[in-house]
Amino acid sequence: MPGTPSQSRNFKLLVAQYGQKYGILVALVLVCVILAFANEYFLTTRNLVNVLRQTSINGILAIGMTFVILTRGIDLSVGSVVALAGVVSASFATTATTAMVPGGPYPAVFALAIGVLVGVVCGLINGVIVAFFRVPSFVATLGMLSAARGLTLLYAGGKPVPALTDSFRYIGTESILGVPMPVVLFALVFFASLWVLTSTRFGRHVYAAGGNPHAARVSGVNVNRVRLLVYVISGGLAGAAGMILAARTGSALTQAGIAYELDAIAAVVIGGTSLSGGVGKVTGTLIGALLIAVVNNGLDLMGVESYYQQVIKGMLIVAAVMLDQARSKQA
Amino acid sequence: MTNRIMTLTVAATLLASTAAMAQDKPKIGAAVYGLNAEFMQIWAAALEQHPAVKQGLVEVTVFDGRYDALVQQEQFETMVTQGFDAIIFVPIDIEAGAAAVKVASDAGIPVFGSNTRVNSDLLSAYVGSDDVQSGYMEAKYVLDKIGCKGNVVVIEGPIGQSAQIQRLEGNMKALAECPDVKVLEDQTANWSRAEAQTLMENWLTAHPGEINGVIGQNDEMALGAIEAIKAADLDVKSFAIAGIDGVTDALLAVKADQMASILQDGAAQAQGALDLAIKAVDPTYEPMSEIWKTYADMPWNNGADKEYSVPWTPVTLENVDALLALRQ
Repeated sequence: MPGTPSQSRNFKLLVAQYGQKYGILVALVLVCVILAFANEYFLTTRNLVNVLRQTSINGILAIGMTFVILTRGIDLSVGSVVALAGVVSASFATTATTAMVPGGPYPAVFALAIGVLVGVVCGLINGVIVAFFRVPSFVATLGMLSAARGLTLLYAGGKPVPALTDSFRYIGTESILGVPMPVVLFALVFFASLWVLTSTRFGRHVYAAGGNPHAARVSGVNVNRVRLLVYVISGGLAGAAGMILAARTGSALTQAGIAYELDAIAAVVIGGTSLSGGVGKVTGTLIGALLIAVVNNGLDLMGVESYYQQVIKGMLIVAAVMLDQARSKQA
Repeated sequence: MTNRIMTLTVAATLLASTAAMAQDKPKIGAAVYGLNAEFMQIWAAALEQHPAVKQGLVEVTVFDGRYDALVQQEQFETMVTQGFDAIIFVPIDIEAGAAAVKVASDAGIPVFGSNTRVNSDLLSAYVGSDDVQSGYMEAKYVLDKIGCKGNVVVIEGPIGQSAQIQRLEGNMKALAECPDVKVLEDQTANWSRAEAQTLMENWLTAHPGEINGVIGQNDEMALGAIEAIKAADLDVKSFAIAGIDGVTDALLAVKADQMASILQDGAAQAQGALDLAIKAVDPTYEPMSEIWKTYADMPWNNGADKEYSVPWTPVTLENVDALLALRQ
């Protein structure tokens, strides 16, 4: 009989328990089932490949963001780093004489390495400022958000870097056995991160440093080093995402990646990683990123205005955090 | 005491000489909504290339409005304080810009609109291009290419912006002439290439083999559609695709015979407005920009008109190389 206080509390507890454990996966499956009935094309191979491709860039950013959020931090700079790594690497891989670095275009591998390096350097700066200068990550990466965007505009002179070589565009346009390259790269990043977080000492240290930094320090974890490295990971992945984006669109745009950090944070939060650190999984982030992409894709297929997509994404984020709150109260 | 008087005298002399210099050389401010995209870069570069600026007859300062109506208004207040002689204005917002114009007008400084309209009758004159016309031209290209029958999709700019509203009006005018053409989808991608790419990927899935034409309200979005078509392993040339603006990537795509673009001559909009601004400060001035010779359809009329409409130039295989050469 619902209504008695203890029973209703038990019920709430039960919902919270299952909601936290399987809620997002259930939501994803549910949305997929609804869309499969609502639109005949949703479950086609081509559409599912599209969804994965549309997930990959946000997914890669969100995985880097997961590392940062697990240590109680936040990385607001990833959208700007996407643009900076995009234009810098593209300038080494363009045939357009206006934007070319002297002696270019260089081999794609070289340009790609430069792009990752740009991301890593941005992440390193974020990490040093957060870990050693004790600046809150919100502030440090907010600074990088502005600085990296400014550097992007300075470097490219406010113009896009067009005419990228086919070998550079390989990571955005080609497929391996029918799987688009962005998805292949996303999968690599996902499985590597899954392994790092679940099976390595560094992974355990990330959880420890986020869950209880003092206890971690006492038990011999170099918390500062962990903090530094998560920003380097996030920056490097943002660099990679920026180049995939440039390779997909065929041109590195100075306006690329604006507000991407918000979608990445949304995927992490929807995926159940706690903003208070120490709790969360990249599997959750993967599901969170997929959910956002599936909802956008489904609404596009049904011809629903994009403004609704934003409203729905907003509701998903809040619902996910409400679940998170219910869980921490129960604990 | 003597020292103080000395300082004052020096200051006064300095002020007087600055004022004298200002009289010799008109100070003109250009307040643009933002310098982050290629189009406004071309616009601003054209100001620097204007003969009157190159010969040092006028001093031009460009203010970056950073896509914020409030920033633009503050820049107007700064220009009033600094005693600018005339202002060229490219507002971010058609309504919010009116307040900025009033600030300058109250201080007796003439304001000339360029590229983007502002809803104010205090504007001395406006130099721009008619977006309804470009919307009509690009849609007409797409419809002609598909023989006035079949299905098209329209990718719109941010809903409510003046360019989106007017280009859509032009799109619809052309579509009305082809009653057999069906608009399968019609959505905004906010001028963004990446957003348009996602949209088009999903539309190609939802309407397999049905889409014949793509009307993109700017080049970036048309280019995004092209990338989506390529990603779906379809032949870009079997689609009729058009965009507006003539950005460099679009010129390259026209050269590859993948799309049509309608060039908006931002350089002419900038130089035309500057000629008018100088004329307002110095009534004996004769326009120095080449644009009045280039566009016979846009007569100078002694700088007395309220509206100057810079014609659109369809980018074709014939003129694309010449246009690309200008971008080097």
